[in-house]
Formats: sequence, C-alpha cells, structure tokens
Amino acid sequence: MALLWTVVSVSFSIIITPFLMFLLAIIFLASIGKSLGVRRLYVKILLKIFEYGRQHIEIAKKDQRREMVTGSSCEGDGDADADATEDERAAAAASTAAAVERAAGAEAGADAGAGDAAHAPATRRPSPGGGAKAPACNGSAGALLPNGALPNSLSVISREDLILSPVPSLNSANGAAKEGLPRSRSFETLKREFELADCLEFVKAGVEAIIEDEVTLRFEAEELKSWNLLTRTNSWYEFISWRLTVIWVLGFLVRYCFLLPLRVLICFIGVAWAVLSMAVLGFLPPSSLKRWLHKRAFIITFRILARCLSMVLTYHDTQYRPDKGGVCVANHTSPIDIITVSTESCFSLIGQRHGGFLGVLQRALARASPHIWFERSEVKDREAVAKRLRQHVSDPKNPPILIFPEGTCINNTSVMQFKKGSFEVGGVIYPVAIKYDPKFGDAFWNSSRFSMMQYLYMMMTSWAIVCDVWYLPPMYQKEGETAIDFANRVKSCIARQGGLVDLMWDGQLKRMKAKKEWKEAQQEEYSKRLKLE
Amino acid sequence: MGNRSSLLLREEEIAQIQEETGFTPNQIERLYSRFTSLDRGDCGTLSREDFLRIPELAINPLGDRIVHAFFEEGCGDRVNFLQFMQVLAHFRPIKKGRDNKLNSREQKLKFAFKMYDLDNDEKISRDELLAILHMMVGANISEEQLTSIAERTILEADQNGDQMISFEEFCKALERTDVEQKMSIRFLN
Repeated sequence: MALLWTVVSVSFSIIITPFLMFLLAIIFLASIGKSLGVRRLYVKILLKIFEYGRQHIEIAKKDQRREMVTGSSCEGDGDADADATEDERAAAAASTAAAVERAAGAEAGADAGAGDAAHAPATRRPSPGGGAKAPACNGSAGALLPNGALPNSLSVISREDLILSPVPSLNSANGAAKEGLPRSRSFETLKREFELADCLEFVKAGVEAIIEDEVTLRFEAEELKSWNLLTRTNSWYEFISWRLTVIWVLGFLVRYCFLLPLRVLICFIGVAWAVLSMAVLGFLPPSSLKRWLHKRAFIITFRILARCLSMVLTYHDTQYRPDKGGVCVANHTSPIDIITVSTESCFSLIGQRHGGFLGVLQRALARASPHIWFERSEVKDREAVAKRLRQHVSDPKNPPILIFPEGTCINNTSVMQFKKGSFEVGGVIYPVAIKYDPKFGDAFWNSSRFSMMQYLYMMMTSWAIVCDVWYLPPMYQKEGETAIDFANRVKSCIARQGGLVDLMWDGQLKRMKAKKEWKEAQQEEYSKRLKLE
Repeated sequence: MGNRSSLLLREEEIAQIQEETGFTPNQIERLYSRFTSLDRGDCGTLSREDFLRIPELAINPLGDRIVHAFFEEGCGDRVNFLQFMQVLAHFRPIKKGRDNKLNSREQKLKFAFKMYDLDNDEKISRDELLAILHMMVGANISEEQLTSIAERTILEADQNGDQMISFEEFCKALERTDVEQKMSIRFLN
C-alpha cells in the first residue's frame, strides 16, 4: 500500500514538474508576444496525418464501390463509376495541393473545385506524400476562388438558370451579371405576352432550391471534403480500417488527456488575468499611462486565450492594421473572432450583454476601458446605440471599435448582409476578413444547437484553430452613396479577400422566416416582364 | 451535424430507389443527406414547413404549388424519402437510349400541368389559370387585365371548345417549347 502510494506520488511529481514548466513557458511567451513555432509545427504534422488518412479512406472506398458495382448491373454504372473515380482523383489532387499549400503558408482560398478546367491539369498530380512544395498550380495567384461555394465534388447539381434573390434585380444565372444591366432599356425590348410555359422557369428554380440552396447550408457546420479524425465530423465514414481506428484512438487520447486539461488551465489563467488586471487598472484615473497599460494588458489577455485554443494565426497586410480610432468591421463566425483580431491590437467591443462565462469577461473588460454592452431590449432602440457609437468614434483617444455587422454567427463559407447601422456613423471603416481552416476544428458557433459551454468544450477538444486574417485598406463613404450601398461595397471587399461567397441574404434567416416583401418583389419583377394588352 | 447512423440508408433501399428513379447511388446518398438536413425534427419525413424554411423557395411566387406537388393527396401531409426522390426524378435530364420512366417529356409536361390544375380534375379552368396568374404577379396587375390574359390563353390553347385546357391541349400548346431543357436539372456525378 505504502509502495503504491510512493510510486504514484513519484510519477506524479515527475509528470507535474515539466507540465508546470510547460505551462509557465506558454504564459511567459504570451506575455512578451513571441512564439517558438511549436503550434505551427504541430499543425504541419497534423496535415501529414490527415493526408495519410484521406488516401487510406479513398482506397478503402474504391474497393467497396468496386464490389458493389460488379454485383449490380444498373444503368449508368459505366459512366457513374468513371465519373466517381475521376472526381475522386481530381478532388484528391485538389485537396492535396490545397493542403500542401496551406502548410507552406500560402494564401488560403485556392480550393479549386474539380470543375475548374484551368486548374485541373495543374493539380492532377499524385500525392507528394507531404512536405514537398506545391507546384505553382494557381498561376493566377490573384484569382481567389470562392471556396464557400460548394466545390464540385460536394455539389449535387449545377445551377445555370434562374436563382432567386431577395433583391430581384440581382436574380442571376449563377453569378453572372451581378453588375447592373441597364434595366429600363432591357424591359421594353424583352417584354413578352404571358405563355403557359412561363411557370416552368419558377418551377425549376424552386426544385433546384429544394435540392441545394445558398442559404440554409450557411447555418450548419461547413462540410469537409475528407475526414479529419474527429467523431463529430464523421457522418460518412463508418468503420473503414484498423489503421485509421488506431490513429483515431491515439488522437483521442492526445486531445482529451493531454491537450484538454492544459487548455482548460490556460483558459482559467487567462480569464483570471483579465479580471485582475482590468480591476486594478479600473482604479487608475484616465491618462495616457492608463491607456498604455490597458493596451498591454488587453493584448496579453487575448494572447493567453489564443494559446488556450491552440490558435495558429496568420496575419496579412499588417500595414493596414487599425490603431487609432475608427470602426473595424469583420465577418462573424463565433465569439472567438474577437480573440483572433485582438492578439495584435486593442479594440473596444460592442455587443449584447451576456450572462455566464461571456458575461464575466464582458464585465471585467468594461472596468478599464469604454466598451459598449447593451441589453436586448435596447437593441430595438437603434438611436441610443448609434449615439453611443458616434460618441465613441468621435473621441480620438478611444481605441478602434470592433463591430460584426452581420449581427449573427455564420459558418465562415459566406458573408451575409451587413446591417447598415455601423456604416451610418461616419468616419473611416477598417475592413478585416477572417477565414478559418475547418480541417483542424470548426470554429462556427451554431447557437441554436450548442450552448456556450458545449461550444467551448468542442473547441478545446479540436485539434487546433487555424486562421487567416487579412487587414484591408481603410474605406470611406463616397459622396452620395447610401449607407446600404457602402455596407455592400465593404462586404464584397471582405468576401473577395477571404474567398467567401458574397450573399445578399440576411443572416437573421437563421431564426426568422423569409419576409413577405421579398416574395412581393419577385412578383413585381415578373409582372414588369409581362406585356399587357 | 453529428452522427446520424440510425438514419443511414441501407443498401437495399438505395438499390430500390435507383431502380425506380434512375439516380446513381452517389446522387442518392447526397440527396439523402439533403433530405435529413431539411428534416429538423429527425423523424424521417418532411412537412410543408420544412420545405418552406428554404428562403429561396419561400420567396418563389409558385413556391406553395411546388411544395404541394410533393404531397400527393391521400398520403397525409408528410413526405418520406422515396416520395421525395420520385418527385425529383421528374427533373432528371432525358438520356437517349436509356429507360426514362419518370423523366420522359410527357412526365415533365404532366408535372407542369399539375402546377396549374389546382383541383386535380385533369383540366385547367379559367379560374385556375387566374389563380396561378395571381400567384405570379401579386397585386401588380389589375384584375381585368389578368382576366383578359387568362381568357386569351385558354382561347389559344382550347381545341375542343369546352373553355378548359385538357392535358393533350396543354402538350400541344407547349410543343414548340424546349421542355427538356426547361424542366431538367443538371445533376453532377
């Protein structure tokens, strides 16, 4: 009994000391803002493991399909099989190239779908087995493909005709002609009398929407092209092979037994630091010293929190980083976005007052610096919030204010309608585009499914959060431009930079039904095209 | 997301659907995944609200008629996966030399005909046509003009003088329309 006790205590002290040293090292590095590159190395290793797993799954699936196909003699088995394997190869090549590019730190977004002819020949290479730099497969480096649009290997249909949109002048044939046609001219020449065949267009658009629409998939976690060894994304692959199961078990142990406790501890330390430092700073009288100290404390807090989620952040174009006042807007995926942008600069935050864990953080931060937290009931009172916003922005000593104009969390494959409130304040807008890499952990917070605690738990048991942040040049409202047009202009800038799909739809569709006015607008659009007697 | 293993399709079901509709197993799996994502209550069937939750369908002027086409009378107001696929099968492109059971030109025309035929009596009356016109233009065109449009349309299509459009007359009226292209959806792999 005594022997057992000694053994336990000795092994405990053997493990605990390096553990604590490790922890201290992390905190220390967070405070001084340096990094040893351990996380990046970790991410590279993970990529190689994913690649290995994916190839394995492809092989296993192909064997399964071959058995099924030889057994049945249905129509389309010939070209279905050929299509499937060709698609698989192309998808495999595309995701290999994309994966290796990411490891090389290249710009994200070149997730070329298999259908893109220009890229297909270049990416059709056997897998390099990790480590080798990708060939310059996107010679057109400027052309970021919207990877929020389902790559062809995941799409069921290809939409070539009418796609309805809440703004009928933007009803489009698959992205074509979003810029304004000279509407008035085309109406007179294109008006036709009513025919029985007129309904066919709407019917087809409706059935296509039932099969695949632009909006509903934005409120679910992004679908991965291949499994990333987390149970939560395993909706396709049941048991495939022993090797994969072993890898999965090892991964499970690493994530739950080593990473999770470490991360929880770091998070605890980070929050404790925030509460204490902000409380202390709250006692100081307003002065430039206080602001300087606050900025340091703020950044340290979020650096610690970033490490607690194993975030690997890559910043682009840091010359445009907002430093002195103004309004900073970004696309919204989850509350983690705040951590993502706050590790390098200090912001004032604006948002709904929460209870629980977020509430603790909110109250702590509010002690030392002007943040705007409002109650739900006050949201309806736009004037009050707008006034406070204007006050904040007009004082040049205040830090820039961080706003998420979508108003709700979207799954990071698209950018939905920006609310015009933040664009009416005047002043300069600093757009920021944030794109998470879903392979390592899905950062999207599906608030209708998961509570904050569940979400944090899922985040802390993911592999890592890998993310690209682009700072865009500041934008100003043009003469005669309405707030809505300005908002749309900023939105399309952000969407283009982040490789996200630019949607006109309102993010509130997550919770609400489509407005009647949109249907009426479609009816009006159609009636304009009818020639009347 | 998460594990929906209890609702995964069995091989026999896939084979049966493939036999009836002509979709490939890959397409059937993808469409099944779509079906389950629309099925919020996880009960294996869809209701009208599940369909109308899709914003693009909710703002479609003919959205209600399209949803109605999935709910054949007498089958209650829930749609299971087989019925779902049977309706979608109408929109498969016509392939020459293949057996087109559900997606022949005539089947597509029948589907379009049912959009107009509100009371399912195999004839389109003037009032039914007027109702569809109302759905498509809303309040933007006056009642008299709509009535005259409806009457003109029936006059042009009606051949046996009963003031109603039967299915044959409908097909004749649309014989110069490229129904194959307008009523076919381009499915991938």
